[in-house]
Amino acid sequence: MNTGNNMRNANFDRMPSKRHYPLWVRAAAFHIRMAAAVLAAAYSAGKQTVLKIFGILRKIDPEFDLSPGFLFWAGGLFFFLLLGGYAFLASLLTSIEILEFAVEIPWEALIATYVFLVTAGSGLCVINALGPVFGMRRYEILSRRTVFLSLTSIIFGMSCIVLHLGHPERLPIYNALSPNFRSAISWMGALYSIYLAVVAVELWLLLRPELLVRAKRVRPEAGRRLLLLLTLAKFESGHLGKLLRDCKLGRLVGILAFISGISALTMLGSVFAHTESRPLWHGAYYPIYFLVSALFSGCALLLTAMIMSYRFTGHVIPPRVSSMIFEMAQLLAVLLVAGLGLTAYRLSAALYLPRMQAPATLLLSGEFSPVFWIFEIGLMTIMPVLTLFWASRKKSLAGVLSGSLAVLTGALVMRYIFVVGGQAYPVLATDPVFQIPTVFEIMLVCGALGAFCMIYTLGERFLPLMDANPHQA
Amino acid sequence: MAGGSLAAVLGFPRSGFARAAGSYGKLVDTGRCIGCKRCMSACKRWNKLHVERDELVTDRQTHLSGNNFVVVNLRVDAYNRHERTYVHWTCQHCEKPACVGVCPVSAIQKLPQGAVVINEKKCIGCRYCFQACPFKVPRFDFEKRVTRKCHLCYNRIPLLNYMKPACVAACPVGALYFNYKHEVVKEAKRRAYRRQGSTYIMGFEEAGGTEILTILPARPERMGLIAAPGKVINQGLQKIRITASGIMGASVIAAGMYLYADKTRDRDDPTDEYGQ
Repeated sequence: MNTGNNMRNANFDRMPSKRHYPLWVRAAAFHIRMAAAVLAAAYSAGKQTVLKIFGILRKIDPEFDLSPGFLFWAGGLFFFLLLGGYAFLASLLTSIEILEFAVEIPWEALIATYVFLVTAGSGLCVINALGPVFGMRRYEILSRRTVFLSLTSIIFGMSCIVLHLGHPERLPIYNALSPNFRSAISWMGALYSIYLAVVAVELWLLLRPELLVRAKRVRPEAGRRLLLLLTLAKFESGHLGKLLRDCKLGRLVGILAFISGISALTMLGSVFAHTESRPLWHGAYYPIYFLVSALFSGCALLLTAMIMSYRFTGHVIPPRVSSMIFEMAQLLAVLLVAGLGLTAYRLSAALYLPRMQAPATLLLSGEFSPVFWIFEIGLMTIMPVLTLFWASRKKSLAGVLSGSLAVLTGALVMRYIFVVGGQAYPVLATDPVFQIPTVFEIMLVCGALGAFCMIYTLGERFLPLMDANPHQA
Repeated sequence: MAGGSLAAVLGFPRSGFARAAGSYGKLVDTGRCIGCKRCMSACKRWNKLHVERDELVTDRQTHLSGNNFVVVNLRVDAYNRHERTYVHWTCQHCEKPACVGVCPVSAIQKLPQGAVVINEKKCIGCRYCFQACPFKVPRFDFEKRVTRKCHLCYNRIPLLNYMKPACVAACPVGALYFNYKHEVVKEAKRRAYRRQGSTYIMGFEEAGGTEILTILPARPERMGLIAAPGKVINQGLQKIRITASGIMGASVIAAGMYLYADKTRDRDDPTDEYGQ
């Protein structure tokens, strides 16, 4: 009998043994053991490692000081990193199955975080293009911070994808050896790789003058040599130095970054829009909506990062930068209104199409409706639009900050309900769909966002990102 | 035979007869299936898959997974609760598979024999094929960390001349039938014609035509199966049309940025200095 043979070949690990404890007891025992091991390792290596890191940081920047606010912020981010690291380790030791809540919904919080971070990064690329591509000089003073933020957010967005994939190591190999030109993911990967390379060059060109000045001040010889090598100081007086100082090169790289960034963003929208069997995602709408949503989430990210950087470092905001902040707050409000218009158009059109009715109803009055109305419409659109218009009239930085933070929070939830809600049809048409992500997924997302904030904080502290004219330095 | 189903039975498939003689197909006759799950068992043996507890017991509901390429479940007609049928559900091996078009690393291939096969050594585990599949078949295997599904035993066909897939060879009642595609189409029509009551042959219209034909007592959505769209995006031009909308949107945004820059140029400091 076939069945008998199969039972003989079966995986007996899955069979109940004599000492069969309930699943939650085994899971709890596993996590207690692992947490104890992690804490013991952190305690034994913790103090000395932290002191060593601070020693290195002090060598890089002699003025590096630990204020209570910075310690609190860094401690919080470190805690987030620890959570993410723990979830990652647990998924490696057991199975990545612990990061999923349903087999029928394979794209969840990690993909939502990826979309959130990457669209914000691409939106920053478009905003940055206002300076070098469209010649708006007042935007050029923000370009260092914008480009650095764009680069970090896309890198950490990509890290979410790496955590999600079954075999991430195969992606660069086979995407180069046997790409599928009909696949949007293949194009998106290639375009974002080009974009990252171009943006890295753009950032290097922007930071180079300031790093050249710093290279003369750095005390340790090795660090000084490294900086001189990185900035190609040897060629500063030659033709290459003249070429690198030329504004035209910066403009050319800016144009390349704009083109590659905006096409990569279009491809990201197409990844979802090409799936015909997912009615909510399919169609020509999402590539366009992704562009607009990228613009507003990028704008909100930049405003939040700028205002919080000035608050934390205690620097006074120069009048030109503050006028830029209020101008961008107005721009953000206009973009949010445009995004609301697009959403209204999409959902009202969907109600007339028989195939789209059920998914649209899921958002408007179904299981997703509380989250949709509270977060996507309330927190991400109406509240920030009112706050931002009020704040830019009253010149209130706190108002702009709260509006931008609300947009970011709402956008993260909006991506989540877009990704998970899109997969509700046609598979789970009758089952409950909306689910909160698993604990490990939340921990991993916290880890990715914490790592992103930590790298940005370090960049803010040790790189010359403060808003200044790049050609002036 | 009901009028509606007669048209479905006698209606010509869009491309069924036009297929090359070398292409194979499989017929699932749900009227003959007794739910013994020997097809599941044989599939697991041939593909060396794990057997979960109780999943080979008749009437136990099972789901497709990285460890289950074939499932047999009892389905009830939503409009006629007395009509209870065992449905053998697996990859339908579309003639124009959407999964082949979306796999970013070309790990999925449509073989000339008709089978749609995932190369597990190439698969990156992104699960985009699952999103694109109109039947939601390819499932992620959490142990191997790749997506897996039925491959129509393509590794049996060329070895021994005309060797049936494991599930077909194991079926004790002839509910599964494997042959060249045009023979399968003929057989499906013959069986549907001879069967009492209403019938619907799934596989002619769904997803642009599939290599697996299933004789059902009613339309798939009535039987609780996924109603696949009649056409699935596979060709480059259809995808380009969607992406072009994004490129047009990007052009509009670029034009808007140009206008914004042009209209607010007076706000720029002409001296280009960092105002403190």
